Amino acid sequence: MILRDVTLQNFRNVAEARLVFEGRRHFFVGANGQGKTNLLEALGYLTALRSFRTAENRLLVREGQPEAAAAYTFEHERFGRTRVTLRIGSRGNRTVHWDDERVSRLGDIIGRFPTVVFSADDIQLVRGAPGLRRRWMDLLFSAVDSAYFQVLQQYHRGLTARNALLRERAGAAELSAFEREMAGPASRLGKAREAGLRELNVSLEKAYRHLGGEDAAALLELRKPGSAAQAPEEWIERWCEGRDRDRQAGATQAGPHRDDLHFGLEGRSLARYGSEGQQRSFVIALRLAQADYVRAGTGLLPPLLLDDVTAELDGGRRERFWALVAGEAQVFATGVMRPELGDDAWRFCRVAGGTFAWESRIASGECGIRTAQ
Amino acid sequence: MGSAFEDLQAVLKKLPGLGYRSAERLALHLLVERPERLNALVEALRRAAEDIRRCRLCGGMAEEELCPVCSDSHRDASVVCVVEQVVDLMALERSSAYRGLYHVLHGKLSPISGVGPEDLNLASLGERLRSGDVRELVLALPNDVEGEATCHYITENIAGEGVAVSRIGFGLPSGGGVFYADPVTLKSALDSRRSYS
Repeated sequence: MILRDVTLQNFRNVAEARLVFEGRRHFFVGANGQGKTNLLEALGYLTALRSFRTAENRLLVREGQPEAAAAYTFEHERFGRTRVTLRIGSRGNRTVHWDDERVSRLGDIIGRFPTVVFSADDIQLVRGAPGLRRRWMDLLFSAVDSAYFQVLQQYHRGLTARNALLRERAGAAELSAFEREMAGPASRLGKAREAGLRELNVSLEKAYRHLGGEDAAALLELRKPGSAAQAPEEWIERWCEGRDRDRQAGATQAGPHRDDLHFGLEGRSLARYGSEGQQRSFVIALRLAQADYVRAGTGLLPPLLLDDVTAELDGGRRERFWALVAGEAQVFATGVMRPELGDDAWRFCRVAGGTFAWESRIASGECGIRTAQ
Repeated sequence: MGSAFEDLQAVLKKLPGLGYRSAERLALHLLVERPERLNALVEALRRAAEDIRRCRLCGGMAEEELCPVCSDSHRDASVVCVVEQVVDLMALERSSAYRGLYHVLHGKLSPISGVGPEDLNLASLGERLRSGDVRELVLALPNDVEGEATCHYITENIAGEGVAVSRIGFGLPSGGGVFYADPVTLKSALDSRRSYS
């Protein structure tokens, strides 16, 4: 998937801008708070129909304006040249038009315009709580396979019901009725996660070796606290055995909702033993693996949105990073400084106060910033 | 207490499907625009309130001790179809496809909304099954998590041995094709496919 152009109106601090993207690599340079990340946020919004920075849509509307809008033209593997227009009202209400037709079920959009965001906050995937890693995994698998999302929802509805029963001290018969409903989804989630991680690991290990510049094996592993099960009958048994414990805790203690992802480097915990550089390299390799996974699962090549990711990397890793992302995918990167990229396929754009100005290349003469009519 | 008009409007607003404005419109219609309709409505409500009760056997809507379905001797009393609400019974009756009897639960197990087995019309289902007249139980509850859990509960705690339990099928609507169906429906349609020969 290639993004040909985007028009923004009252999106965050951007009053009005039209950006035409030529070629595959674009670098946005500017001081902090000028609108670089706002642009990436707009480019990535259609992926899951949400911002990668906030769940509050109304924050995307420029102050004092009734609505924000973004119009995108894609060169799409499946839909050819196609245009999507997004409007976000000041109360967070959204409408999407796809080739001039209103999309009535917004969920239909999700997964069709994938991007992969690399951000400095990604380090939280290593250092933060298990919930963050689980969420990352669930979002990724859901984006590629809608059945995964449905099974996940089904499991969580059953789980919420069981937890309510535990708190009410309900009898065994009722608990059993809902445990049976959770068991199938729990088993399917376990299998889907294992299979997904196996696939991710192939790309992750390769990307890490390239980027980290060390011959170390990077590995994602599913960790299941408590007594984990696989087949539906095993889950039913575990939950049945754990009822007293769960009643005391007031919540279900075993199940896929407690899974964690263990990030390992050469068989050791990355969070505990990894250096700053190793941790940063690992999450970048993870994002690259994510892009591979999306491509293999959907047949769509996701553009990469790189939000000031190299700032914390040392010189060698930085160089290898730019070489790694210079593949087929379209790349949109931001930074405070113009980096040494060592290849002239990049176009640079200056960002200041919500406006964008392409640095003209010799013989190009094209000025990317035009005010939309 | 507000004025008589405000009270009427407040009572109407509590009815399903009515918001503040529609309640106001209904109240004005009955009191100002077409007051002659008011008496007929009051009379119909009074009669219905007096005459309509739950069927002793199935829990459906009845004007006698038994509802028209339960008192119909031509129906097959060995098959009982379990539904969530009276509207589900009505929908099945409209189809004319079912000749057995019903049992209305008036809800489904929903721990989140505080609905447990004792809140459902389950005790009388147990009695019906113990009487030995019923050979088959058809579970026509919705196929969401709560509906399925209710089915598990009935199968394991209410239906004894000697009663065959079946589940209504879920899949494509008649006259509809694959194209417009949502993924969940397609999955259940595929899961419940049958041999064609």
